[in-house]
Amino acid sequence: MAKRVEFAAGRKKKTDAFDIVNYIVFILIGLIVLVPIWKVVVDSFNAVGVYKFQLFPNEPTLDGYRTIIHTSKLYQPFVNSVVTTILGTLLGLVMSTLGGYVLSQYDMPGRNALAYFLLFTMIFSGGMIPEYLVMKQLGLVNKMWILVVKHGMNVYNLVLMRNFFEGIPGSLFEAAKIDGCSPMGIFFRIVLPLSKAALASIGLMFAVTVWNDYSTVQIYITNRDQVNFQYILRVMVMDGDTPTTAYKVSQSTLYYSAIVCAILPFMLLYPFLQKYFVKGVNVGAVKE
Amino acid sequence: MKKKVLSLLLSTAMVASLAACGSAADTGSTDTGSTDTQSSDTSAQSGDAAATETADAAAEDYELTDLYITVDGTLTANVDNGQDAFVEQWEAAVSEKLGHDIKLHINQPEHSGYKDNVAQLLTTGQPGDGQYPDALIMSATMYKQYQTTGILWNMADAYDNAEFQSRITLPSINENMKTANGELYAFAPTYGNGCVTYVKQSWLDAAGLKIEDIKTFDDYYNMLKAFTKDGQTGVIAAGFGKLDEAPYINYMPEFWQGAYPAIYQKDGQWVDGFQEQATIDALNRLAQGYADGVIDKDTEEATTKVAREKWFSNDQTTSEGVFTYWAGTWLRTLTDNLDKNDVDSDLGDDRLVQLPPIQEIKDTWGGYLNREAPVWVITDDGDGNDAREQAIFDALIETMLDGDKVQTLWTYGAEDVHWSTHAESFTTNPDDPEKKKDYEYAEGEFHLKQSPNDPNAVWKKNHLDPVLVIAPLTNGFVDSDPLVTEGNKFFTENCVDAPQSPSSETLTEVEADLATDKTTYLNNVVAGKMTAEDAIADYQSKWGDTINTILEELNSAE
Amino acid sequence: MFLPVLIYVLIVYYWPMLGVRYAFYDYTLKKIEFVGLKHFTKMFSDADFWKAFINTLELSIIKLLITTGTAVIVSVFINEMANLFAKKILQTVIYLPHFMSWTVTAAIFTLFLSTSSTGFVNETLKNWGWIKESIDFMHETALWRPVYYLVNIWKETGWGTVIFLATLSGINPELYEAADIDGATRLQKIWYVTVPELLNTIIIVLILNLAKVLNLFESVFVMYNNRVFEVSDVISTYIYRKTFMTAIPNYGYSTAVGLFKSIVGCALVLICNRASKKVRGHGII
Repeated sequence: MAKRVEFAAGRKKKTDAFDIVNYIVFILIGLIVLVPIWKVVVDSFNAVGVYKFQLFPNEPTLDGYRTIIHTSKLYQPFVNSVVTTILGTLLGLVMSTLGGYVLSQYDMPGRNALAYFLLFTMIFSGGMIPEYLVMKQLGLVNKMWILVVKHGMNVYNLVLMRNFFEGIPGSLFEAAKIDGCSPMGIFFRIVLPLSKAALASIGLMFAVTVWNDYSTVQIYITNRDQVNFQYILRVMVMDGDTPTTAYKVSQSTLYYSAIVCAILPFMLLYPFLQKYFVKGVNVGAVKE
Repeated sequence: MKKKVLSLLLSTAMVASLAACGSAADTGSTDTGSTDTQSSDTSAQSGDAAATETADAAAEDYELTDLYITVDGTLTANVDNGQDAFVEQWEAAVSEKLGHDIKLHINQPEHSGYKDNVAQLLTTGQPGDGQYPDALIMSATMYKQYQTTGILWNMADAYDNAEFQSRITLPSINENMKTANGELYAFAPTYGNGCVTYVKQSWLDAAGLKIEDIKTFDDYYNMLKAFTKDGQTGVIAAGFGKLDEAPYINYMPEFWQGAYPAIYQKDGQWVDGFQEQATIDALNRLAQGYADGVIDKDTEEATTKVAREKWFSNDQTTSEGVFTYWAGTWLRTLTDNLDKNDVDSDLGDDRLVQLPPIQEIKDTWGGYLNREAPVWVITDDGDGNDAREQAIFDALIETMLDGDKVQTLWTYGAEDVHWSTHAESFTTNPDDPEKKKDYEYAEGEFHLKQSPNDPNAVWKKNHLDPVLVIAPLTNGFVDSDPLVTEGNKFFTENCVDAPQSPSSETLTEVEADLATDKTTYLNNVVAGKMTAEDAIADYQSKWGDTINTILEELNSAE
Repeated sequence: MFLPVLIYVLIVYYWPMLGVRYAFYDYTLKKIEFVGLKHFTKMFSDADFWKAFINTLELSIIKLLITTGTAVIVSVFINEMANLFAKKILQTVIYLPHFMSWTVTAAIFTLFLSTSSTGFVNETLKNWGWIKESIDFMHETALWRPVYYLVNIWKETGWGTVIFLATLSGINPELYEAADIDGATRLQKIWYVTVPELLNTIIIVLILNLAKVLNLFESVFVMYNNRVFEVSDVISTYIYRKTFMTAIPNYGYSTAVGLFKSIVGCALVLICNRASKKVRGHGII
């Protein structure tokens, strides 16, 4: 990386036409991404719906957000989203660190069998209906906990975790063993503290997945008090099914406010945690 | 060491899980009433066997302690609107009647996805699993689909011997639903109701038109044209025709006129109305209306909720002048919503006028269609014993029309939550001098209270419409809203019964696909992508054989 | 320690696999009955199924090619940017849409493309005098796919650059220095040094994603509607509708379609795994 920086700096000397073009391209790309997001944010504070792109709301209002906070059909899903995201992330982290740690023990007999046991699930699955029937039998249909259960385990993330653990120098383990540390002790006292960055990355991946999940809710949940915020957003904006509220708020204000609420948690975290967001992907190739 | 432990665990777990599945598959559960999860593939068969054993013991003194019902949006006392109080008061009243405690569990899926949710519940569940409905609401179309499947209980005897028989004023509703063999798989507590065409008075005034002059389709069409300008359009509906729900044509009756785009009985014979010339003509009228822009373009995609909200939205510059929607109570609801959105406030309750059926409708059907009533059905657990089902009937349907306490719950909602007889005064819209309205009631005077989730609106009704119910309340609780009364009177004077829906196994199997395809043809023709003749020809080549099979099934059964 | 993971995987992944047997059963209201290959015969003779299958392939492959293409182009531009600050900012910005859910993305674009008076795109175009009548982007058969691809580009291009930028940062600077000595221009350097270095990565990205082409569901589901079924119905949405939007569904049939999808998907993964081993020496799984 350092080499690259030096190299880029070295080329900085001459500014040619290409650089100007490049700046223009940069600005264009930035605008293409940012204009829609900015418009959403501005319009969520705008009392009347306008088609124009505005830098700031011309009739500022908080009614959209106020409506969401005061309408149980809107805030309940938000609460559900928060709860399931937190629990799903925790469960996911526990599962992938446990699994990843075990798989990283090269000397462990049966390790390969276990690995195949897990990897097989990545190439073959029962499919939508058999999964549905199993969840039905587990009593998870129509419960928001389905979100936690469905995402509490992710073989891909588990493999990422294993890759990370494999990168921890073996000498550390040897030293710990000599000090009389049990495997459990090693895990808690040495491995976990060393893995904070990896835990943050993978935790974020879990959190994003659970928070953003819509299809699971669409398939498994029919009770409005169990749905998550993504679902309610979809029902509102695409199906035009706005819950009745005591508030008088323009439809577009409410829609855009709901969109902002649906991206808010990550918008707030993103600038600070961007490196963790990106790290996950670099550890192991590409993931959709 | 580790290896052994792990492989041992692995194999034990594997074997255990397989064994668990296997054993469930072999034996099933012996207790049909338990909430144990059982392998659903076998429960259907094993459930039968197990239940017959226990049936004798349970026979007469079956005690129903938990009642699971699935309801659509017509139970307006939903979770946001005082459902807790409704359930509590229902449990108290019914427990008293039955002499033992009973708990009511309401599952109220989203109204728009109701059909699909019910299908899901009924396919993957079984009685006693904690979600499977003991009884549920179905539209007439849905009910006809399930009638032949054997999952509905024949309640003919229970109905004939019901205590409320003596109070029924409209016996024909349920008598007509009985099959040729006298079986009754559903119960309709009310008659169906239908849609009438509402026109905004202010729009008529602006166009210099009078409702009395709108007599024929041409008059109607010219009115729509006069309404269509500067973003405003003539008419909106939830779909050009709602081809998946009888009576299909009720949202745009003027365009459909005498057509009936589905299988129906004509002169004693079942025929497919979609292939008839009347349908082709109707499609052409719709296409013309779409091309002329008098039909709002949103019609195609709109759900009923979207359509009506656009119609009474506070932004009338993109709204429509005409809307055909449910009669009676909805006249009040639509007026109130316009009021809430500050539309035509100066006209008060005269905002909307009801258009009498145009000549073309009078000449064919004779009036607006009174749809087949939505019904309650009871699921049959298939154990050959009626104890459970009769108990459900007694707890739910018998009490629903008791003329008194429980019927009031179903009609108006919970006491002191939705309605009250205590002295009370309240004000709606206290902050808005123009819309502010005071209500004052003396002790003992029956009245509806403010809606639990909207203090600015007065509660209207719960599941049963007091005007449509087949056995009226005997306690004298009447909410006499002049607008509702006027609406109901108008409808009863101008309606005819809709054709009966067919019940055929083949039709049930293909119904969803058929409706989707027909809707696509309809939309394509209306959008001008296809001529009506081509669409029908296409339809005939794709569906002709299937339709013939269905018609044969129906006609031979008669 | 592994036990919770083991049990979890058994329940959530392996147990449903037992359920694929329903592909050979009629599974409807109160009836489960062995019917052999009935559902497969029905499936293979159903025009709607084939349409969904072809649509799935077309949509995901074209989407994959387009988003990979744009990601490569954008990566090259980012790589050429000498201003580190600008680079950092742009990277931060373009990764953003990836973390938005499909629901959010679809909601934003549905609102922007709507025909209502607040529809950003239509009203702007009208204002500029480019169009007279609003265009119903989401409901026109001819327009749905282009819109779908564009939305995908907006959402995924930025994220797609991550891997290409990682590759680019690994290019030996000596290659550029050598090109400098040969008097190559900027564009020549891009074409003869940068792009060839990326080729391998491009192939890997394509292989990795090819294995997943059948998994298309949420992005389509949130954007499609019955008016554009013809061009947008994919296998998963087909299964969904056959199961959850039918009065008396036959779960056996939907399971059969699902099984077909799983088997083809499985074959694709194995093929891609083979290809990956050839290209980069190790598999994708």
